[in-house]
Amino acid sequence: MDIKTQLKSLLQEAEIYRSQGLLDESKNRYNDAVELIQKNAQIKNKQNLLENIQKKINLVNNILSNIGKASTSPQLSSQVQNVIKNKFSFSDDQDSASLEGAIALAKFGQFESALKEFNELVKKKSVQIIAAKNIIRCYNALNLIDEAVVQYEKWLSSGLFPSEHLEKIRFFLENILERKGNKKILPHAPNVKESQDSIGNESYDSRFEDEEFLDISSITISLDKGPLKGKLVEFDVSFQSANIISVIIPEKDKKLIENLVIGATLNNIQFYSPIAIFKGNGVISAKTRIQSGPKKGNYRMDIKVVST
Amino acid sequence: MAIFNLKKREIDCKIVYYGPGRCGKTTNLEYIYKAFKKQVSGEMVSIKTEGDRTLFFDFLPIGLGKLKGCDVRVQLYTVPGQVQYKSTRKLVLKGVDGVVFVADSLKIRYEKNILSLKDLQQNLKDYDLSIFKIPLVMQYNKRDLAEKNIPLMSIEKMERDLNQQLKVPFFEASAITGQGVGACLKKCLMLTLQSLHKQLKWG
Repeated sequence: MDIKTQLKSLLQEAEIYRSQGLLDESKNRYNDAVELIQKNAQIKNKQNLLENIQKKINLVNNILSNIGKASTSPQLSSQVQNVIKNKFSFSDDQDSASLEGAIALAKFGQFESALKEFNELVKKKSVQIIAAKNIIRCYNALNLIDEAVVQYEKWLSSGLFPSEHLEKIRFFLENILERKGNKKILPHAPNVKESQDSIGNESYDSRFEDEEFLDISSITISLDKGPLKGKLVEFDVSFQSANIISVIIPEKDKKLIENLVIGATLNNIQFYSPIAIFKGNGVISAKTRIQSGPKKGNYRMDIKVVST
Repeated sequence: MAIFNLKKREIDCKIVYYGPGRCGKTTNLEYIYKAFKKQVSGEMVSIKTEGDRTLFFDFLPIGLGKLKGCDVRVQLYTVPGQVQYKSTRKLVLKGVDGVVFVADSLKIRYEKNILSLKDLQQNLKDYDLSIFKIPLVMQYNKRDLAEKNIPLMSIEKMERDLNQQLKVPFFEASAITGQGVGACLKKCLMLTLQSLHKQLKWG
């Protein structure tokens, strides 16, 4: 193929890819064309051609930049919001279906509309605690966590929730606050003593979910690789975020810290929950050295429970 | 999973168009919206972002009329193809009854097709569905670009790379011209309804 045909072909490809929205691919072809021109002395009007191609590359760069800046959760029309609410709810039970619809709104970034829905759903006994947690998640997503605190305080005096539900919500909100570095202690529900802190073990989970995961209090891992092969190690669960549990490995257990690497699959984990003991598998999704606080120097390891 | 209203004799089922970003999923639905007006039972909803990219999903309801004494309604969806919208794709896939996998015939999109098919397999697995069992049809899109001398993969290569194990029906298509779009949807509907007929035992 002669140079002229090669160049024509590259530019045609670049144009088509641009029209298809394949912008990186389009840019690559324009750059190939630039390289071809620069390498070949016999091409006439070199400067003109290069300038024209550069204009096209700039155009592609502009489109890419606009895509990068575009909002990932724009406000949708009420028609679209209704489609989301109606088409992403699957339960036969009306309250559960409404809850699923509201969760879908939140998942699609329509937090304000979702808040309206959840505020209605907290009045329904069967779904009120999940709705309440999702109200907190919405405020968190909107960076209005103080509003969540105000809302919790209103619920305290509203008589809407039984005390045990309020305690679960308090634990849940305190966990979110703690993750944000806010040490605020929230008032307890009426008729609940402060020493009953263990009642909830409500995990922090910023994702919008309609399912409550079983709370896991501790785990036993059987090590099947490395120098500690065959050893059983037990951990208390310090945090749980849906199917991700966090455990603390003491600094002194150096071999263990080295043995448990990110990405490793842990087979035959024994999970202990207040209501059941069960076996399953997990994957180490994170391992970080704690930089401050009373557990400084220890390691926090996150395990994603993949099957039980 | 399809909704079967026994009392009203109505079936609602869900077909999802899946595939890599910019492969032509939305163009498929746009063509169906224009070409099958008689069957379209509502407005097409499209949630796009900058650069005409699908942000959340497209939605198009169609009606097939009475089949074995039941009114069959179909909801067509597309997923956002861009890699970063994994959780949205999974959400849209919930309750799916049949899938059209739209593969991009452009040579440069070879790897994206494979990654998207793997992503589909994983997302189905997360809902306890098998890619080998769900009603699935392959669409090899953008065949019209061959006329413009743009490097495309041959159908044989696409079959080898994407469909060797699945062995599902495949269609050459050009969503922009409509070639193969109707046939592909019809086949997917046929497989889906056959599967639902077995599961729901209606008729």
